Amino acid sequence: MQNGLSGYLQSILNTFRGRKSRPLPFERLFELFRLVLAGNNKAIELITDMGDTLGGDYLFDITYIRRVYAGLSEAIRGSLMNFEELTLQRYSGLPASFTRIDRQIWRMICDQGPSDADPVLFYEDISWDMTSSVGGKNAHLAEVKNNLKLPIPEAFVITVRAFEELIELNDLDGKIGLIGNDSLIPDADTGELYERILHAELPPSVSHAIDMAMDRIKTRCSEACFLSVRSSAEEEDGEYSFAGQFETILNVPLEINAVKDAYKKVVASLFSPRSIAYQKLVGMIPGRLKMAVGCMLMIDPVSSGVVYTAQPSDDRNALLIVAAWGLGTSVVDGSVDADHYVVEKTEDLEIMEKKIGTKASMFVTLASGGIAQTETPVEMRARPCLTAAQIRELAILSMQIEQYYRKSQDIEWAIDSSGKLFILQSRPLRMQKSVKARSADMVPHEEQILMKDRGTAVQRGVGSGRVFVLHHMDDLARFPKGAVLVSKYDSSNFIRVMPYASAILTDTGTSASHMASLCREFRIPTAVNTKDATAVLRHGQEVTVAIDDEGRMTVYDSIIRELRGDGYQDPAQMEDIYEYRKKKYILKHIAPLNLIDPLQDNFTIEGCKTLHDILRFMHEKSVMELVEKARYGCMVARHAAVRLDLPIPAGIIVIDIGGGLSSSGNTEGISLDQVASEPLRGIIRGMIYPGIWRSEAVALKAHDFLSSMMRMPDITADNAELVGYNIAVVSRQYVNLSVRFGYHFSTIDCYCSDIDRNNHIYFRFSGGATDITKRSRRIQLIADILKEYGFNINTKGDIVICRLSNLGKGQIMTILDQLGRLLSYTRQLDAVLHNDSAVRHYTDKFLTGDYTV
Amino acid sequence: MSNGHNIMIIDDEKIVGDMARLSLEQDDYEVETFLNAEPALKRLEEKDFDVIVTDYKMKGIDGMEVLRTVKQFHPAIKVIMITAFANLDTAIEALRGDVHDFFPKPVKIKELKASIRRALEN
Repeated sequence: MQNGLSGYLQSILNTFRGRKSRPLPFERLFELFRLVLAGNNKAIELITDMGDTLGGDYLFDITYIRRVYAGLSEAIRGSLMNFEELTLQRYSGLPASFTRIDRQIWRMICDQGPSDADPVLFYEDISWDMTSSVGGKNAHLAEVKNNLKLPIPEAFVITVRAFEELIELNDLDGKIGLIGNDSLIPDADTGELYERILHAELPPSVSHAIDMAMDRIKTRCSEACFLSVRSSAEEEDGEYSFAGQFETILNVPLEINAVKDAYKKVVASLFSPRSIAYQKLVGMIPGRLKMAVGCMLMIDPVSSGVVYTAQPSDDRNALLIVAAWGLGTSVVDGSVDADHYVVEKTEDLEIMEKKIGTKASMFVTLASGGIAQTETPVEMRARPCLTAAQIRELAILSMQIEQYYRKSQDIEWAIDSSGKLFILQSRPLRMQKSVKARSADMVPHEEQILMKDRGTAVQRGVGSGRVFVLHHMDDLARFPKGAVLVSKYDSSNFIRVMPYASAILTDTGTSASHMASLCREFRIPTAVNTKDATAVLRHGQEVTVAIDDEGRMTVYDSIIRELRGDGYQDPAQMEDIYEYRKKKYILKHIAPLNLIDPLQDNFTIEGCKTLHDILRFMHEKSVMELVEKARYGCMVARHAAVRLDLPIPAGIIVIDIGGGLSSSGNTEGISLDQVASEPLRGIIRGMIYPGIWRSEAVALKAHDFLSSMMRMPDITADNAELVGYNIAVVSRQYVNLSVRFGYHFSTIDCYCSDIDRNNHIYFRFSGGATDITKRSRRIQLIADILKEYGFNINTKGDIVICRLSNLGKGQIMTILDQLGRLLSYTRQLDAVLHNDSAVRHYTDKFLTGDYTV
Repeated sequence: MSNGHNIMIIDDEKIVGDMARLSLEQDDYEVETFLNAEPALKRLEEKDFDVIVTDYKMKGIDGMEVLRTVKQFHPAIKVIMITAFANLDTAIEALRGDVHDFFPKPVKIKELKASIRRALEN
């Protein structure tokens, strides 16, 4: 019999050897699989350790990050080597993907800039991980363009490398280094830098690269075209918004000097007083930041604006569209009473609120270049900027972006004269941070109220101080610490006084403006569009501004300390510390898991954005490698192969690759007691559960019989997948069981250890004797049952593939028992699944432990 | 509102001082941070501090030198040493120098706070 068994196995092996070369013996495969798991485990532990340490409960320094990351990088590299051998280098792109992420993380740890990017890159050549070369804003938008294929105008980026070359050629390093020195007068110092950059010589390589890019982009314009030239600093729209802090030059003629001058103007704005003020405010050392600049084909819009995919008040069930005629400038600088549309984020996309603004002015492009503010034609002012169809289209595109990033977004858009919608910018939306603001109703004295329920709340909270009515931007220099800023217009220039402002109120403006973003970022109680704050409040008057959780704004005469009491100040958070955020940002390239579902399209090497993704990818593909190779019988005959004697005629042959049998396998047959492989024991216990294995045949109807006859040639053909054999490849913690019962085929692959994250179950079921409809019903029944156990399920025709991982040993054993029962239960079940309701009937019976058919 | 206790943090990495300051200010300590020891030691001439938390390894004057100077000229001030390069020798050296406590980095902030409270009680 032993010879018979070996001969049987040999015949199977020969079948496969003829098909494909499989050079690795199974024992080596299994060893590699375990090495990959061990390396991955070590890496996961280090990621967890870093996550804990960088979570805000520990004081840590860069030495710690360097040391732990070196260990993590080493562990993954080791895993990759084993993975490559295991998979015969079938995933050859994975090491390169790891190297790219690894290099980027080391750069961040070592505080280095990019060294290998071109001075100019087109959006189609930019990937998500090039933030340090093209800036956060460009990397984000290029990803939307390339991966979501959304309508974004043609664009190229003058990269950080170009910036570095510009600074070096013009010998500006030393001057920039002094910016962070508090002993200097920033305005004077930065003013000189600003001028020097405006008149700087462009490095020949950069100049040439811009020329080439302009030539290329010209070929894509049908007529005279213009560019918008926008900043994209390294960290812009990443952890920091920099909203409105840098120059944006719109409608730049596509002429060499005009584009280069615009580029230098944008770069110079990195050193403007308000930009320096912002950098200091967030705790950066000014002068360290580097600037990339995006050059995008200009859209001459009929209407433009902003979408917040969640309402800034933290309502994530609706999105807010703010729209104005002409360019979006009037929306982001808050200079116009714009249209507001609130859209419910459901399939119907119902417009829940519509507020049409007065839109007295608008910004337009000029034929010779540049833009101008003009009065909106009277007949257009009260007319909505968007049709219902445009609102819907905009909502759908915005939700696509939000879904892709799994984060609320702040999106700039424009619609041209042909009605085509373009996305111009997308960045994470800063929601209002929760602060404790006591309800206005709690203040007893009504007579103290100066203003109530006016305007639009931008940031909740309470602030008090003397009113400072701003008449001219130059007056900001005299803004006293702790005052309440009251202004007719809103402006991102207010950043210069935000560190000292207790609250901000403006007569006009929108919650979608740059200033509003900054106020939310720095949690300054703010309301805009109050209509008459500058008229009601007197310069020098002491007031308290309270904006409650419902967004109701009240201004009280005098400073009311009870309202502002200890519990009402927003405490500083660890996240507010620049160095902390910067270091923690490293984790963003390590810990998040984007590859969640192996059945999704993004479960690819290209989808690996973090080291955790790399580990997940390796784990999934390693399991599949094992499943496939055990299934194809790529084991060697020198392993013990014995028949498992069971009370049911399952005909299972066990091949032990190490510790799977408790006694020598050199006997003709073994009993279940001699099986040491825990997962195999679990399955078998289920298969032989009393009453579950039906020995009598289920009558096939005529067409089922015909169907089974028609399928016979498949089985007897030289088709590797259909050769009938019931084999269990086992070790103590592992089983790969391939069985054919009648006309259907099943594979269970399971690793079951004491370490939860190592454990997995893979189950595949296909085929049957009946017609495709009944076979599909059985597949549905299996899927319905296994869904109850949390399996990730993919069905196609009469095939079902189910995956489960990261479970405790106890749960794994319970599920294996159920899988064993399912194997026995479903053997001939397809023959009785005459209609769809029978599927539900037998599913319920199985789940309640009734196995009668 | 200050709790009346002054803490000095000396560490050549800004993040350590910034995080320590934020955490301790939440408990109403008055905190001053320094990136190197020289100006920190000068500051001791101008203001009374109750506890100094210092890094062990720094350019210029290192943590052990800070400890010796403080013990010589301001013996009432308690010194807590933190280091990314912890080993038995450095710990013994610090303890011989009459350090109040010694922590390898990363330091659990809760434990550092408990250590500061103990230092203030003694």
